[in-house]
Amino acid sequence: KFKNASGQVCQIFSFKDIKATPDPLYELPGQCLTPSPAPIVIDNGSFQTRAGWATSAAELHTPRLLFRSVAARSRGAARSETQIGNDIPNLEPLRWLLKSQFDRNVVVNFEIQELMFDYVFTHLGVTSEGCVDHSIVVTEAPCNPLHCRQMMSELLFECYRVPHVSYGVDGLYSFYHNNNQRNLQLPQTGIVLSSGYHCSHILPVINGRFDAVNCKRVNVAGSQAATYLQRLLQLKYPGHLAAITLSRMEELLHDHSYSAVDYHGELEKWRCPEFYEREVHRMQLPFSGKVPGGCVSVEERQERRTQQLRRLQEINSRRREEKLQQDQERLDRLMAVQELLEDGLLDQFHKSLVELNMDSAEELQSYINKLQIAVDQSRQKLLQSDGGEGKAEPAFNMAEYHQLFVGTERLRCPEILFQPSLIGEDQMGLMETLQYVLARYTPEQQEALVSNVFLTGGNMQYPGMKERVERELLAMRPFQSHFKVTMATQPALDAWFGARDWALEHPAAGEAEGWISRQDYEEKGGEYLSEHCSSNAFVPLKVAKPAPARPAEPSATSQTSAGAPADIAMVTSASAYVSTNATMVTT
Amino acid sequence: MASQLPITVKSPPPAASVAAFRPKKRPGSPAASGGQQAAGGSTGSGIKKRKGPLVATPSTQIQATANETTAEVKAVGSADGGPVSSESTAKPPPFKDHTFMHSGIGGAAAGKKNRTWKNLKQILALERTLPWKQNDANYYNIDSPPSLKPAKKYSDISGLPANYTDPQTKLRFASSEEFSYIRLLPTDVVTGYLTLRKATCVVP
Repeated sequence: KFKNASGQVCQIFSFKDIKATPDPLYELPGQCLTPSPAPIVIDNGSFQTRAGWATSAAELHTPRLLFRSVAARSRGAARSETQIGNDIPNLEPLRWLLKSQFDRNVVVNFEIQELMFDYVFTHLGVTSEGCVDHSIVVTEAPCNPLHCRQMMSELLFECYRVPHVSYGVDGLYSFYHNNNQRNLQLPQTGIVLSSGYHCSHILPVINGRFDAVNCKRVNVAGSQAATYLQRLLQLKYPGHLAAITLSRMEELLHDHSYSAVDYHGELEKWRCPEFYEREVHRMQLPFSGKVPGGCVSVEERQERRTQQLRRLQEINSRRREEKLQQDQERLDRLMAVQELLEDGLLDQFHKSLVELNMDSAEELQSYINKLQIAVDQSRQKLLQSDGGEGKAEPAFNMAEYHQLFVGTERLRCPEILFQPSLIGEDQMGLMETLQYVLARYTPEQQEALVSNVFLTGGNMQYPGMKERVERELLAMRPFQSHFKVTMATQPALDAWFGARDWALEHPAAGEAEGWISRQDYEEKGGEYLSEHCSSNAFVPLKVAKPAPARPAEPSATSQTSAGAPADIAMVTSASAYVSTNATMVTT
Repeated sequence: MASQLPITVKSPPPAASVAAFRPKKRPGSPAASGGQQAAGGSTGSGIKKRKGPLVATPSTQIQATANETTAEVKAVGSADGGPVSSESTAKPPPFKDHTFMHSGIGGAAAGKKNRTWKNLKQILALERTLPWKQNDANYYNIDSPPSLKPAKKYSDISGLPANYTDPQTKLRFASSEEFSYIRLLPTDVVTGYLTLRKATCVVP
């Protein structure tokens, strides 16, 4: 905090612009190979990928790798020169080359996903030949399209030859982890509000199973907030367009933004100038040597104007001086002629009058009078203009020009999650969607659900988010009804921890619940999903798979239509949860 | 060390072929030598998309080692140009099946046309055609519906609740200072604010 010109305390910050450090190539720890290969847990997020081991060893209980889910390859470079994640120290110079395997929150580009897996496995120290001999736990989007799961399973089973794969939803893993930590009784019931980078979800969980039919997704989350903030600041400060980068916007959202508990009340506070001066965060940009006027700005126009004025003044004063001189000479001549008259030299006098084109002595006198007055006046003016100066230019504060004033933007950007109309989206906000979802249940189920409202996801980390959710929940629930809101202990990382907990408690074996074995993949197709407490619901529809390029390869997963009824029977016998999926059996 | 011998023989062509390669499909020949490659080990793996023209050139006797050598030659070639570390980065990871190819990125039928991955819109369009039941949840089903509450209006400049709209620019403002600021804005900034809340008018 500093004191500004008027003596008030104000807050000046600078951008940290943190550079990423490359990940080391870890050695594969011994306990991850013996007695049996430990599962690898990958939280595949559209913002960040977190990967590590599921083992009880103390030093391996956190994700080994955390990196941005981006890959950068410049156009001419070979495929092996792609930089991934933390290999890129600063994203901004490569912003236009960055590619991600995600489209919204779903993986669509499996070449880049393959690069990500290569990166993960290489850095975790996997060196086995021809296969990755560890079971893999991967997160997927809620209600992940079957085609995408098919492609992912194909990648994992056929390229990496893993023995088992398990898919789960990140918000549900986080819920699982926190419920275990709070020692809540199984089976768990609650409603998860998970806000990530591209989407936010409402995920109801009934009796330990995800109720997919009633879940909802709002397409507003961290990346929309970052883009909104960036555009707001770029429109406010057109001179600093290049300095307002997305990385810096993310820094502003992480460190300088908050969620208002009462949005309108908070805005009223910002109307007050003292509050504004106290609370506005002034972001000091590095000095760029750019005086205002890369483009025509107000200051430059003023400068030009004063210069022109000065030039005009100089010209005018020069002209006036010349005129004064001429008048003086003429006056002297006329005075000389008058003296001729006074001296009595009448003939010369009359001759001069004719030269001057005048008729009488009186005309001469009046001319002399007029000239005298003009000369006196112009002399006076010259004196005045020498004494006076041009208007002083307005004072210009270079430091303030390089500051971005982030005021109400601090709370407008997190607000888009609750009011998507701020960015023109006509979807319901998070709490309105929650109300909509709750309305689909009976009052008893609603009571059970709101008694365990769980907030998770990186975009939920704004200060004040929990209080805001509580306040809005209070407004929408019946008078004097009970509810409880919990925030995840580590909103961004808990999905990984939950997946790891699940993997440790449900080891992969032949027919274990939640795991897809290689045989399952070959028999039931890539879109098969083995359900568990933190997974999507599986709807067994056969998805046609494009034929592989090489006909020589035994394609065990080619499309069939006859297998469908057998699959439904298999799935419904395997699933033991109580939900509305009972309707599937009727076919 | 037998694999070392062909290097000197083959050094001229790979210089050209490494520069000239760009195939995305592997012909059938790697499949035949796939079994041998599994024994051949790591050095041949991973440059899976580049083996096409390179494999075609060597004779069948050294075909088994050709993949290894092309990998090594490639590594040597890059090592000539750069530091030794580039050799390790050019080396493909051992744990993959080097003959793997995604079925999503076109197939034999699609040929050269279908080289890009489907984006989400296309995938969802395909999903819609599947025989979903009424109660099934799928990716587009769970989209939240449009809001039932009327949207509150906020100033485009300051974010405070706005009661007024400028008829000329259609921007919302909350005080007279904001209004004078709006009237001094260049048109691109005005359009920028309107685009931010998707209020730009498309009608000419």
